[in-house]
Amino acid sequence: MNRPPDTRPLMRRLFERRSLDTLAPVPKFATYAILLAWTFVVLFPLYWVLVTSLKIQIQVDAGPYYIPFVDFTPHLDAWNFMLFQNNTLWPYMNSIVVALTSTILALLFGSMAAYALVRIRFQVKLAAIIAFIVLVIGVIVAVVEFAVPWQVAILAAIVLFFLALTSIGRRFKAALGNNDIEFWMISNRIMPPIVAVLPIYVMFQHLKLLDTQIALISTYTAVNLPIVVWLTRDFFAGIPLDLEESAEIDGASKFRVFFTIALPLVRSGLAATFMLVLILAWNEYLLALFLSNANAQTMPVLVSAQNTTRGPQWWYMSVLIVIMIVPVIVIAAFLQKHIARGLLIGAVKG
Amino acid sequence: MPYLSVNHSAFCNTGRYMAVNVSIPNETDRRERVAQWVDRHSGRIMVLPAVLILLAFAIFPLIASAYLSLSRFALAAGSFKLTFIGFYNYTRLFLGVQQYHFLGTFKPFGPLEWTLLAGVMLLLAAWLSRYALTGFTPLGFAGRLITAGLIGAVWFVVLATAVAGGIPGTLLNTLLYVFVGVFVQFVLGLALALLCAQPIRSRSWFRVIFFIPVMVTPVGVAYIFRMLADMQKGPFAPLSHFLGVSQWSWATEAWSARLMVLIGDTWQWTPFMFIVLLAAVENQPRDQLEAAHLDGAGPFQIFKDITWPTIAPVAATVVLIRLIEAFKIIDMPNVLTAGGPGLATESLTLHSFISWRTQDLGGSAAVGYLLLFVSTITCVSFFNFVVRYTRRYQ
Amino acid sequence: MASKLGVFSSALVAMALASTGLPATAGEFDGVTVNVMTQTGAIQEPLQRRAPEFEKLTGAKINVIAVPFSDLYQKVLTDWASGTNSVDAAVFAPQWMVDYVAGGYLEDIGARVAKDKDIQWNDIAPFFRDFSSSYGGKTYLVPLDGDFHMLYYRTDVFEKAGLKPPTTWDEYLADAKALNGKDFNGDGTKGYGSCIAKKRNAQSYWFVTDVVGSMTQAKGTSQGTFFNTKDMTPLVDNAAFRKALDFLKESSKYGPPDELNMDVSDTRPLFTSGKCALNLDWGDVGVLAIDPATSKVIDKTGATIMPGSKEVLNWDTGKLEACTKDTCPYAIDGVNHAPYAAFGGWSGGINTKASDKVKDAAYAFYSYVSAPAQSNVDVTIGKTGFNPYRVSQLNYSDSWKTGGMSEKAAALYLGAIKDSLNSPNMILDLRIPQNQKYQQVTLDEAISRFLAGEIDEETTIKTISDGWKDLNDQIGTSDQLKFYKNTLGAK
Repeated sequence: MNRPPDTRPLMRRLFERRSLDTLAPVPKFATYAILLAWTFVVLFPLYWVLVTSLKIQIQVDAGPYYIPFVDFTPHLDAWNFMLFQNNTLWPYMNSIVVALTSTILALLFGSMAAYALVRIRFQVKLAAIIAFIVLVIGVIVAVVEFAVPWQVAILAAIVLFFLALTSIGRRFKAALGNNDIEFWMISNRIMPPIVAVLPIYVMFQHLKLLDTQIALISTYTAVNLPIVVWLTRDFFAGIPLDLEESAEIDGASKFRVFFTIALPLVRSGLAATFMLVLILAWNEYLLALFLSNANAQTMPVLVSAQNTTRGPQWWYMSVLIVIMIVPVIVIAAFLQKHIARGLLIGAVKG
Repeated sequence: MPYLSVNHSAFCNTGRYMAVNVSIPNETDRRERVAQWVDRHSGRIMVLPAVLILLAFAIFPLIASAYLSLSRFALAAGSFKLTFIGFYNYTRLFLGVQQYHFLGTFKPFGPLEWTLLAGVMLLLAAWLSRYALTGFTPLGFAGRLITAGLIGAVWFVVLATAVAGGIPGTLLNTLLYVFVGVFVQFVLGLALALLCAQPIRSRSWFRVIFFIPVMVTPVGVAYIFRMLADMQKGPFAPLSHFLGVSQWSWATEAWSARLMVLIGDTWQWTPFMFIVLLAAVENQPRDQLEAAHLDGAGPFQIFKDITWPTIAPVAATVVLIRLIEAFKIIDMPNVLTAGGPGLATESLTLHSFISWRTQDLGGSAAVGYLLLFVSTITCVSFFNFVVRYTRRYQ
Repeated sequence: MASKLGVFSSALVAMALASTGLPATAGEFDGVTVNVMTQTGAIQEPLQRRAPEFEKLTGAKINVIAVPFSDLYQKVLTDWASGTNSVDAAVFAPQWMVDYVAGGYLEDIGARVAKDKDIQWNDIAPFFRDFSSSYGGKTYLVPLDGDFHMLYYRTDVFEKAGLKPPTTWDEYLADAKALNGKDFNGDGTKGYGSCIAKKRNAQSYWFVTDVVGSMTQAKGTSQGTFFNTKDMTPLVDNAAFRKALDFLKESSKYGPPDELNMDVSDTRPLFTSGKCALNLDWGDVGVLAIDPATSKVIDKTGATIMPGSKEVLNWDTGKLEACTKDTCPYAIDGVNHAPYAAFGGWSGGINTKASDKVKDAAYAFYSYVSAPAQSNVDVTIGKTGFNPYRVSQLNYSDSWKTGGMSEKAAALYLGAIKDSLNSPNMILDLRIPQNQKYQQVTLDEAISRFLAGEIDEETTIKTISDGWKDLNDQIGTSDQLKFYKNTLGAK
């Protein structure tokens, strides 16, 4: 591409760009410099983790050693212990199963709900909601204060709910629409897990599901649903109606339209949402701490457990952090174009 | 108050289906009828799983926790005992023995504090009255009143503790992490996004690498930073020796400890801002950019007139997402300093967690609920007044 | 006829085996799995190491579940209180026994102990036997470890400076001041006079009791140091507590700059890498100091009984008065020592709701780990976290020699332990219900804020005093008084 020679004075040549697709020398240098500096900021802590995983205790305590083979002799003790002697495989498997399953379920239920909220009109009676809340309070008080067995209390509550619906519901027509339902679903994300965790613990304990993968999967699905609804709702709102409408006229059911037409159209957004939710589920700590013991222990809890009364066993912890990051990086690199595009679409409308 | 502005949703009546009246044998007839029933109620069926899950895992625990926060928990033989004690758990956080923990240690007001308090009160009153005079709705006014109330109350506590020489409690610590943290992360993320959107090579490499911190588990990040911040054994020890600060510990002073928590939090979450803002910046209308460039507009001009208006809605949304998450911070302060020195780095979730650890379940639930109130009011206010505002041209 | 002979001879074999001292007969617990919960790292290590040995001997599979220390209490309690009962047995602090017994979760093992010859119950030091393993007259725990505080010092540094290890807290401060900043290891780096763990939510609240107790308790363990045994008033608003707070503040001047963020996991390597002249800690430092892989102070470490005080507190006036034969019946050279059995020593308890076979297997495992053949080896190894608690472990034996402790070091280390254990004035850790709230929340938080300079001394005293009184009120003062007197054996 032959461009006319640059005949501008020196200062302009250094600082002003000639076209949108090139950078002037000084800004170019500054840009690369800053970006590379941030790259160092990002990578150095991770490098330090990697290097620490190759050290033994006395090397860590004695002071900073930076480069293996130059500064210090690396040892594979920590890796050996963590991978082969310690029971690391079990929590790793737990993490994989719990994260993947809960992400897929959240995506499925969340996108279904979002699609319905975008395409179908809902009217939820206010009376029903109030009746529901009153009955939940009733069940809790009955079980705690009056020692009613919880199965009986819940059954009675369900019966009363339907009774209330049919009688009071007829009289008061005030209702909440789609926007309010969406708002409710998404605002659940604001709730801090610490508020919800103890009742959830008691619930699982009554169902004899404590310390199982099922408990974690269902809890993570619930915690991440709001994000899925938030993001996918806008993806669906953005796709044109024609394809769906013509399919429906041809007699396809809503479900068929959803699965065969709507979902494929928002692939990109789904990939981004998948990645985000997977990261959240993979790295979650507080709920796993409460709800798991030995059987369902996940990786973040194992990382934290390396902090003993003798001090954090940095070398073991580093190994765990490294093996936790690697699969996520691989998946992210694979999906990275989708992520950016998908998040953008979601954020624009959301 | 509607949360999302539904601009493009299509409403379609349930029950629109093609009924083809042909005589069919009974078996298929029944299946047809079931399929029609399913299709008619497809809306409800599609929404049902999500609703049930949220009811079980969000509404039920919320109500149960509310009940827990109004009682005192004690273990008894074989089970536990919950004694109803009214609002004691809450009042002791505001006015009682735990006030120093939650709100902070108050010091008397001086003239400076009174002036600042009066100033902010006047601003809030002006804002409210402006709304009352133009386009008043009861719901809108009530909402603004709540927001103003929270801002006023928090400002009062800030003046009484931080400005007047007292000591801030967990409420203010959390608000500091949220607002300062998110602000810094936003500015950094935006700067990086703008830089990365320039015509440079290996942009995808930068994108992947910059995204990595988000993928590390927060507990891991906290321990990493504890390692890095060690002035004696960490990688920066020679630097701290050189600067002569190796005998000083960041963990023993309130503000340096808080700063360290903010640094760790920023390292982890700036990439999230960066990724979304980068996509937004890349999505600017190219024709406008070219026109501006031809007109000889400088970089700042272009940013002010083209870039910022384009990305404002995205920026507002991503800040909102980050705000919601930031309120829940616990791993970083817990691991770095266990909430210390004193109470300097303790966040509300950490406060609640520590209470839980010693069987004070009622107190723990009360703190959790207060966190819920504060974060809800803040996030909803932010959405209504900032996010909606940036979307006014869309 | 043949079958009867078979039965008879196998019975003979069984008797023979039993009499040789195996904790259980081979294959007795085939198919039984016991879930034992404890903390990660130390304590987990020896249990995990001995589990396969025990399985070979008896067929029981011991599944060691390790959780971070800060979560252990709550996890075990929640598991047992909620009826989940996935934890069959747990190794924890005797202090927590009170809450577990109150809920009826712990199995009374008195009968099993009485039948058990292999555990050599009488070899266990009286203090741990009588106080750490029992409550309200019943035995609930098997001691696996002995915990109390001692003073450690650099023998070479003290010799060079011509100083003797301190016997009172005032001497401690003077020594720390004199030695602070000197070069201990000949490598040009400045050492610290005193290293004490002062981090929040860690162990700092035990160290304050070390100092207070030496002034508050002089008449024997049953006197106690936390509350007035007449009416449960906290023994906080007095001259002794104020002096203790002064000591903590002053000692920070001669310590590492990071001291406020250090727990024992930080001060221990600091001492063993040669940077401290004086250190207060549990028995771990002694064995860590002889570990050639991590220690730079092998044969340079000495230990003594905790420093004491020449003045004691008059409980009625709240003032300090000089030590006399009446006020300090157990004084050594005019100094009242009150070694603090902080934490009590990791001990094993059994869930009463577990099945009988599981309970028997759990007890047999504890008995195995605690038996001298195993225990005497484990207490010589630093990373087990087990410290001496048996009389037989306090003599310089081959186990210590194999562990790497020289006779000189052992004389100091084991001697200090003996002095402490033999003291009739040992301080018993607080064991009233919900003691965690008193110590780990109220006391720890106030101390942390005091050391950080957030509150002054008077406010600290008031906060702790009011906080403890408030807890008494909420839980029931007369009940707490009853429990307190019970644990002390006070009249």
